Amino acid sequence: MDKKIIICLIAMIYLIGFVSAGETVSMSDVTVCCEKTNSGLYCQDVREEDCSPDANALPTACASTSFCKPGFCFDSVEGTCLDNVPQMVCNNEDGTWKSEMPAQCELGCCVLGDQASFVTLTRCKRLSSMFGLETNYNKNLKDELQCVMSARADEKGACVYVANPADAQPTCKFVTRSECESESSTSAGEEIKEKESSENESVLEEALGGEEKYGGTLLSPSDAEFHAGLLCSAEELGTDCGMTKETICLAGHEEVYFADTCGNPANIYDASKVNDKRYWSEIIDKAESCNPDASNGGSQTCGNCNYILGAVCRESSSTTGRATYGDNVCADLGCEDGKGEEQMHGESWCVSPGADKVGSKYYRHSCVNNEVLSEPCAEFRNEICIENTISTSEGDFTQAACRVNRWQDCTAQKTSEDCTNNDRRDCIWLDGIEYVLMGAAMNGSTIDKNSLGALREQVKAAGGLKEIPRGACVPEHPPGLEFYGETATSTATTEGTATTAKTGDDSLGVCGQANAVCPVKYEKGLIGGEWECVEHCECLPGGELEQKRVQLCKSMGDCGPKTNYIGVSGSGKGYEVKEVENEKKKD
Amino acid sequence: MESKQNNYKEILIENWMKKEKRGRVLSKRGQVAIYVMVALVIIAGVIVIYFLYPDVVTGIIGGKETPQTFLKSEIEPSVKDSIEVLSKQGGYENPEGYIMYKGNRVKYLCYTSKYYEQCQVQQPMIRAKFEDELKNMIQLDVETAVDELIRTYEKRGYSVSSAANPTTNVEISSGKINVRIKAPMTFSKETTETFDEFNIEIKSKMYDLLMIATSIIDFESTYGDSETSLYIQYYPDLRIRKIKLGDGSTVYTVEDVITKESFMFASRSLVWPAGYGIYG
Repeated sequence: MDKKIIICLIAMIYLIGFVSAGETVSMSDVTVCCEKTNSGLYCQDVREEDCSPDANALPTACASTSFCKPGFCFDSVEGTCLDNVPQMVCNNEDGTWKSEMPAQCELGCCVLGDQASFVTLTRCKRLSSMFGLETNYNKNLKDELQCVMSARADEKGACVYVANPADAQPTCKFVTRSECESESSTSAGEEIKEKESSENESVLEEALGGEEKYGGTLLSPSDAEFHAGLLCSAEELGTDCGMTKETICLAGHEEVYFADTCGNPANIYDASKVNDKRYWSEIIDKAESCNPDASNGGSQTCGNCNYILGAVCRESSSTTGRATYGDNVCADLGCEDGKGEEQMHGESWCVSPGADKVGSKYYRHSCVNNEVLSEPCAEFRNEICIENTISTSEGDFTQAACRVNRWQDCTAQKTSEDCTNNDRRDCIWLDGIEYVLMGAAMNGSTIDKNSLGALREQVKAAGGLKEIPRGACVPEHPPGLEFYGETATSTATTEGTATTAKTGDDSLGVCGQANAVCPVKYEKGLIGGEWECVEHCECLPGGELEQKRVQLCKSMGDCGPKTNYIGVSGSGKGYEVKEVENEKKKD
Repeated sequence: MESKQNNYKEILIENWMKKEKRGRVLSKRGQVAIYVMVALVIIAGVIVIYFLYPDVVTGIIGGKETPQTFLKSEIEPSVKDSIEVLSKQGGYENPEGYIMYKGNRVKYLCYTSKYYEQCQVQQPMIRAKFEDELKNMIQLDVETAVDELIRTYEKRGYSVSSAANPTTNVEISSGKINVRIKAPMTFSKETTETFDEFNIEIKSKMYDLLMIATSIIDFESTYGDSETSLYIQYYPDLRIRKIKLGDGSTVYTVEDVITKESFMFASRSLVWPAGYGIYG
């Protein structure tokens, strides 16, 4: 007589939701493309009853409709271009909609003084007018890095001119050669207009076009002379701009600069050079200024802040510290992480508290402006956090990112090579553990006929039962499951269909893949005695297979005996081994 | 002997007078010192009050209040309050299609109800929408402030003539928010002064925040997600908080660390279901 034992592993899962959504658009088999939903969202594929009665609704995908067809929307005021905008949404907002990318959306290099931006032509015109600059756009530059570099190549120097013919002494602006030439050729009317539209707050721009400094005065074209490499405070220029002990921060620049009496930036702040006439005459390169290889965060004497290394020019305060001269300092942007370790500005790293526990998720922490920001990856561990470290002169620099957890097809992999192919999926191979207990199944299991048929095909293809690799491919990062929608029920039958999903989620489907049927054979002597296990005894409760099945079960996701992310265990055991007397055979 | 005594008296009197004179001089000096100290204390007090409560001092000393400054003081708080509301609700006063997050109705600027798909942009012109909403929110306060301006100046003896209801226009640009109030009016007393419109300028970094929000929405609709650390490279004063919620929504808060202004909005894009998503 045989006895059959069903090993059934059932997930006990607990997750806690903490955010309520204002709207939940449930998915349904039959949806319409709805112009506007009851909750005010445009162009969504929803059930008909979720669509606003006044809105258009067609029983097709939104991409196939005229009103909701996604395309490019061009904002002719700002010069921005957005993809995947429904036609009616764009038209309602007075945008220009096109199904293909229009020529206006093509990017080029916009030079704004000594800065650059990789934008559309319209955007370039908008930015130039905001900063009171002439539009300088190069559509042939198709690379953002080249664009940035091209702006920095422009030579800078002192632009000396006579502001007022009555003045004995000329004045000066610290600008690029092209700016000096364009300023000097600007007509009076344009000059005033430009000053009125100038919106840049920085002292540099104030000096370039601010009304306060040069209000009402016009450049005399013939008097403007450009002196490359010289500062406005250079004595040989004989301008009214002299040395000070003041400093400034400039928009788009990380360093602290000395400022001359005209408000022009001079060289990088260096307390030891405050009275050095040479330092106030010629432009000194950043690399030749004080402490060029350090961040200089919090330094009282050196304003050569290095943003990449974690310092930038900021107004002095109790948190930033104070410089010996002036009101600005290199502020240290670094942070201290939870372990007390120093992290650089811009650095990010992974934090995985209780990874794989029910309700847990991965986090990307980053250090931004002296503060550690916590960015959770997607719920249900649908995203994992990955990180990499590179070596820099200031030490290791770590970058982390959340990326999709590719666990979905793990259980479909039959070989170790396919399973651990990291280019395709995030799975690991558990040696010696099988999803379906092959030997048992092929040896008279009452597994359902369809599965048995598939197994026989597999055995045939492999060239025999022994040739089939024994192992299971499981998710490397077990996913979370949304099991709390409706009550999960399970039906174990003697016919081998271990579970019947009757819930609104597929947690039983995911966890149920670890269910297995194992026929255990008992024998009893002809002249009496006890029943003794003679075949597949490892399947019995407490046997070596039980722990392997538990491990497999836990690897599937929020399945089996687990604790949740705050350390509370499930109310039950998390799995079950059922012993079912199947049939009696008379020998 | 007598002459000696007289001499002695004279000397005593002379000494006494000298002491008296010196005492008076000293007491005068002391008084001056006290006056100077009191004056310094008063000046210091006024300076402290001026920096702490500039409006109070302007009110006490009469100030240089013009119709322009009057309107600015009346409308600026309303503008700032409205910006506060709009910046927490994705630029909408009464948003539709939003997610509740920390008690705020955060508008979805990009949304898809489906799994595995990029979102559909819900609001392409974020700046223009913000301007429009702000204009509508402050319109009533602008009308009240203009009425108050007329009443106040009439009380001061001015004859004020104004045309139709004031119209408001809001323009958000780099570094500032301009509120232009078209309210033609004439103030007459000894002289006549005519105003066509009043321009209230408020320093704000909102323009930059809105343009960064537009860029994030571009990433969300194109790729289904955004990489916030990219922005740090170019914007040292920027801080972006990105919170992914259980339903696949992402709430962004873009903040200027210097001015502490922020803009919050939501997106739902490229969402993966829990499990296999069979039951959706």
